[in-house]
Amino acid sequence: MREFFQGRWIGSGDIPPNEMLAAGAIALVLIAVLTAGLAAASMVANVDHVTSIYLIPVLVAAIRGGVAPAVVAAAAGIGAAAFFFYAPVHDFRVQNTLHIVDLVLFVAVAAVIGRIATNLRRARMREAADRLREALIGSVSHELRTPLTAIVGSASVLAQAPQVERDPRLGPLVAGLREEAERLDAHIQNLLDATSISSEGVRPQIEWIDPADVINAAIERKRTLLEGRPLAVKLAGDPPLVRVDAGLIERALSQVIENAVKYSPAGSPIEIAVERDGDRVRIEVRDRGAGLTAAERERIWERFYRGPRHRDTVAGSGLGLWVAHGLVTACGGAIAAESEGPERGTCIAVHLPAPPYQGAARISETLSETSDETNG
Amino acid sequence: MARNQATVLVIDDEAQIRRFLRAGFELEKFSVTEADSAESGLRAATLQPADLIVVDLGLPDGDGATVVERVRSWSAVPIIVLSVRANEAEKVRLLELGADDYVVKPFGMAELLARARAALRRHRAPGDMQPSVRVGPLTIDLSARAVTLDDVRVPLSPKEYRLLQVLAQHAGNVVTHQHLLREVWGARHIEDTHYLRIFVRKLRRKIEADPTRPRILLTELGVGYRLAQGAEAPVPA
Repeated sequence: MREFFQGRWIGSGDIPPNEMLAAGAIALVLIAVLTAGLAAASMVANVDHVTSIYLIPVLVAAIRGGVAPAVVAAAAGIGAAAFFFYAPVHDFRVQNTLHIVDLVLFVAVAAVIGRIATNLRRARMREAADRLREALIGSVSHELRTPLTAIVGSASVLAQAPQVERDPRLGPLVAGLREEAERLDAHIQNLLDATSISSEGVRPQIEWIDPADVINAAIERKRTLLEGRPLAVKLAGDPPLVRVDAGLIERALSQVIENAVKYSPAGSPIEIAVERDGDRVRIEVRDRGAGLTAAERERIWERFYRGPRHRDTVAGSGLGLWVAHGLVTACGGAIAAESEGPERGTCIAVHLPAPPYQGAARISETLSETSDETNG
Repeated sequence: MARNQATVLVIDDEAQIRRFLRAGFELEKFSVTEADSAESGLRAATLQPADLIVVDLGLPDGDGATVVERVRSWSAVPIIVLSVRANEAEKVRLLELGADDYVVKPFGMAELLARARAALRRHRAPGDMQPSVRVGPLTIDLSARAVTLDDVRVPLSPKEYRLLQVLAQHAGNVVTHQHLLREVWGARHIEDTHYLRIFVRKLRRKIEADPTRPRILLTELGVGYRLAQGAEAPVPA
């Protein structure tokens, strides 16, 4: 399971040895063919400065096999040119200054071509990995969510059936069925997010959004968990709109809220505060729970990290805050933990970009009560 | 009541999902027909016109969008899409193609029924035919162009009224940002979602008991806004 999230499980750009060997072999065959062709041509015409021809096998080797085969192809090309075409012929020595310049140029151009081709190859592999990841996430999501949809839907129909509704034992059972299935759905989303972050596949859809809307959506998503918790949401003044992917930030805040609930005593309050902080908006989620030791504060954002104080008492995967961190940073935000020490509560602060609106004056004009004419 | 004889066409390739949708709709006195592919769904929609279509976004022989687009070319029947989370752009596209609303999988039957009823109600009393819309303490009188909160008149600018009017005409169903911007500010401002965000914040101060925890004018992240439905308007927490 852990290897799955190590980040390099799909196409890191490394080329398998057999492909490198194949690329080298193809380049050598090409060099042999080209050499024979050039030798034949030299019988009827004067063939000189042949090194440019040998760039072709270098290019092929670099695209197919990366750096190592390209170097082999370049060396073989130099060898062939020096041995067969540059005086003294049938000897690896090269005496003509122009030929030496030729060979030096050849090495330089081959190096550049090799580099470009390798980058091209990497980009192509990354694209293939992207597509594979999208397909994988799509199919996992579909395969797992389809049965969950049937479970949640069926439970919701059962819950409304009069026989179930009237029975004090069956009612809660059916409600629990639905809640647990929804919890499972949240875990699936969490794993999918973790996979996206691991493979650097988070693609935020940035838009303007009211921070209060994102917070409300996160609270709504965790409403079952928050039952019996006094919850205060404080907005200082008129916090500006933020420019983020609302869905990603909602999921990050959900994780933070879930953590606050998990590591604080039942019934203790959770406080959420929003305020402007320069050209950012700070959203903090504060609990009165277990707090953080210095060591925990340092490691809290690590993947799979579980604090030793809670490892055996609170269930968890150690993924939540790591996912929150990944989602927030993907939107250009930052996330930090503050705590005055163990048992003194934790405050997780999320900073989100809130750049000034373009044409702010025009907006206030457009929004003004009296003016009904938009101002282009 | 008339709406209790409504027929619904369910287009989904998963038998288990069709089964609970059938049970859920039949318990509410709808009559249900089923189709398991886009093609058979379109055929069923043509042969026996339904009052409501529920269609899955991912079908084996083409996506739900194709169904929405084809049905809309000849019918105004309400369409609700079964969608997946984290795919807001796709939801917007479907709504722009003419779907009336969506639910996100996994969903409860009550949620789907509420969306479906809202769409059916609008379909039966289109546009200005509905004299007024009530959401909790708020009444939007569409014929008198007046908005009252607990029977007290709320002073609104023409644009604020226009926004509420568009939402009220779709009461209970989502309205995309693009649609609202086009209707209230004109087609030139279709990309200016920040107008809308600030505007909605101001409007909420006039109509919501707690503007930071709205119960009437609800946000659908990444998609648009929804006027809560009268009957299901949740009580303030």
